[in-house]
Amino acid sequence: MSAAESARVDALQALAREVGAGLESLRHEPVSIDGIAVSTTLRPRDGDALARTVRALGQQGLAAVPLGGGRHLELGNAPRRVDALLCTSHLAAVEDFEPAEGVCHAGAGTRLGALRERIAPAGWELPLDAPDDATLGGALAAGAVGPRTQGYGAPRDVVLGLEVVLGSGERTRCGGRVVKNVTGYDLPKLYTGSCGTLGVIEGAWLRLRPRPACTRVLGLPERAAADALARGVAAARLQSARACALRGRAGEALSGVVELAGAEESVERDARWLAREQGASDADAQAPLRVRAEQLATAAPHGVRFRIPALPTQLAGVLDALDPQAQVIVYPGLCLCYASFPLASPDDAAGAERAFASVAAAARAALGTFRCESAPPDAKRGREVFGPLGGEAALARALKSRFDPHGVLSPGRFAGGA
Amino acid sequence: MSDLLDALRDVVGAERVLARPEELFVYECDGLTLHKGEPCAVVFPGETREVQALVRACRAHGVPFVPRGAGTGLSGGAQPPPGAVVIECSRMDRIVEIDAENRLAVVQPGVVNAELSKAALRYGLFYAPDPSSQLACTIGGNVAENSGGPHTLKYGATSNHVLALEVVLPDGERVEVGSRSGWSAGLDLVGALVGSEGTLGIVTAATVRLVPLPEGVETLLAVFPDVVSACRAVGSIIGAGLVPAALEIVDRRTIAAVEASVYAAGLPQDAGAVLIVELDGASVALPGEVARVRELAAAAGATRVEVARDADERARFWRARKGAFGAMGRLAPDLYVHDAVVPRTQLARVIEQVCAIGDRHGLTLSNVFHAGDGNLHPNISFDRRNPDELRRVLEAGAEILALCVAAGGVITGEHGIGTEKRDFMGLLFGDDDLDAMRRLRAAFDPDGCCNPGKVLPTPRFCAESNPKARGYDRVPFA
Repeated sequence: MSAAESARVDALQALAREVGAGLESLRHEPVSIDGIAVSTTLRPRDGDALARTVRALGQQGLAAVPLGGGRHLELGNAPRRVDALLCTSHLAAVEDFEPAEGVCHAGAGTRLGALRERIAPAGWELPLDAPDDATLGGALAAGAVGPRTQGYGAPRDVVLGLEVVLGSGERTRCGGRVVKNVTGYDLPKLYTGSCGTLGVIEGAWLRLRPRPACTRVLGLPERAAADALARGVAAARLQSARACALRGRAGEALSGVVELAGAEESVERDARWLAREQGASDADAQAPLRVRAEQLATAAPHGVRFRIPALPTQLAGVLDALDPQAQVIVYPGLCLCYASFPLASPDDAAGAERAFASVAAAARAALGTFRCESAPPDAKRGREVFGPLGGEAALARALKSRFDPHGVLSPGRFAGGA
Repeated sequence: MSDLLDALRDVVGAERVLARPEELFVYECDGLTLHKGEPCAVVFPGETREVQALVRACRAHGVPFVPRGAGTGLSGGAQPPPGAVVIECSRMDRIVEIDAENRLAVVQPGVVNAELSKAALRYGLFYAPDPSSQLACTIGGNVAENSGGPHTLKYGATSNHVLALEVVLPDGERVEVGSRSGWSAGLDLVGALVGSEGTLGIVTAATVRLVPLPEGVETLLAVFPDVVSACRAVGSIIGAGLVPAALEIVDRRTIAAVEASVYAAGLPQDAGAVLIVELDGASVALPGEVARVRELAAAAGATRVEVARDADERARFWRARKGAFGAMGRLAPDLYVHDAVVPRTQLARVIEQVCAIGDRHGLTLSNVFHAGDGNLHPNISFDRRNPDELRRVLEAGAEILALCVAAGGVITGEHGIGTEKRDFMGLLFGDDDLDAMRRLRAAFDPDGCCNPGKVLPTPRFCAESNPKARGYDRVPFA
């Protein structure tokens, strides 16, 4: 064991003693966080223990990456340091569900599948488009997006209130449990999507959505990209459209999936229009979930995956500028294009360079921004995976230094080196 | 002081700097006229560069500054600390761009809310947030306050509609945050800025979402024997999974005031309350939703449910709601418009207790509110020249806020904290919670010179707690 590793083990043991019985500390085979081997997972048993753990990490000069379901762990720059994973799995209770109100509160470690099961019988659905095995805290911290985000709204718009343990160890609350609220600064929006770099989400109040009376999934036939995109924008703008995705290679034809949801009359009318105007036909009801799985999968066995925001009128230009072999998923109703590129090996530097150059060119055809959502450690090295940030970077660093002054939570992982 | 005025005049010209007491009088407060502070000057920039230069001039002279839109805010957000410079954005009133194909608009902060919807109308689009003051209030002010309105229930508040912002930071730097797509690569700084009450910087341009005009609209007016049964109907509609565009309740006292005014809408004066339900969306789905709302309203005790037959009748229903605040001007010289939110399941109970608080203090209290959001607006008519009545108004207000928080609610749903409620923040948040908010503020404005004294309860920044340390001792500080 190296001197550094030995010092790390000593510090983690001191931390475990400090926090005491409230903390489960597990040693395990190393797992890789962007190429950094991590052999310890800290699992606080409640919010108080979580706060004491974060404080003790700061006191011991250690750094941790918050861990939910591990669904979005590839998101972000390689951290400067990781001594442990900080897992929220013990914070997994659905503590409050008010069917008459359409809101619920759950711990960060709650699996979305469990939450969905709890609220569905009362006629509500969870407006977060992330897999069942993702956790609530993880989905919010990552700002998880899927095809149904079009109908659900972004995670920032679903969160009513949060309990967050700041990087400096304080246990805090923000927002509330009501659906309209301007009481103080809107910190829930700042934390949502911040990848746990300002604080660790302990629990959340969410606004639920009524389960639609009727849903229907239709497939759009394969068409040349420009035509498919124009039709996809029209489909995404139907009254009842809650998801619309186009898939294929950037330089080839695209096929599509549209999910309609709402009152039966509205869904049926829109389905008839899609059949008549776009040659749509009924498709498997699980198709939107498969699109999401594909969106979250990295091009196998190694690859890089990007998210490129683009307005409807910019989408064709984005596809034109991308490497024709890039696999793309376009959500026209969300102004998002996902592109993934296979690499020959994890250290295929030339392949990674081509992918980043292709995406930078595509972004120039749109709004100039992109982010790399998944890449092997070698491909991330020396790059800002959040793309060009402009003046936001200085503010991001200022916020990081205020909320996590000791650099406890995934230091260096977020945009602008925050 | 004259050095500062000269510096301000150098930036915008002498005619765009007000500094005589009689000129400053109107800028001492916003719509919350109980709280006042005299600024040292009011300046009218016409472009972003001028805002930057004005901010830098204020900083160089150690004087705090306050951005101001139309001054229609109701929580003192635009109230200047004594001696501050008010940066008034009404000259920056250009709709820079309407991109109909991508359903967005870029506007300067001084654009009036309703003017944007009017301009978007030709493209079949509109700007959804519709605060009651939308004929006067500006987008910059809406962004600062995260303004809501009757249609927030379905469409969301300002925060849900702002895609990107150009902001002059408290050090005079210009920064662009967010993206026309709505997806920021980094932190959600747009989310942090919207609703920050002008304390994190001055918005000089906003990119906002435009939404398509609804294909169909149906407006219902349900008459109830009392406000409690109207609240129950709201609970039933929400619980049934319907998402109306608006669910508004007007109580008996408000009906009386409206019917005695120029806003008279022909409402039944023997009604305990009326509930306005607006449904919009796909035309084919509306008849079913109208029928469902009728059923639920009747089950909750509605004695009559009318459906507007045409646009004129719809306007008449809404007149009762939108004219309410104006109508109350007949009742007393002053009106205190409260703003708090409770879970919708608590509405009936809380409204009864709110009325009881008003009665106990011997006050004229009426209710007109965004029931679908649980957003209460108890309105107290009073005469500020009567010190005892004013004391009772403030005491009743404090009790109402405590009641709402105890019911699981919050102390403001759309008016903001400003100076009005900063000392009530402790009802909802502990020291560490408030400290997290201070950290956000400090990251943008470490010296606390941008609209100081708002949102947060305890002076903490050196500029607020120790004016001398910041060189602010030249002006009296709030």
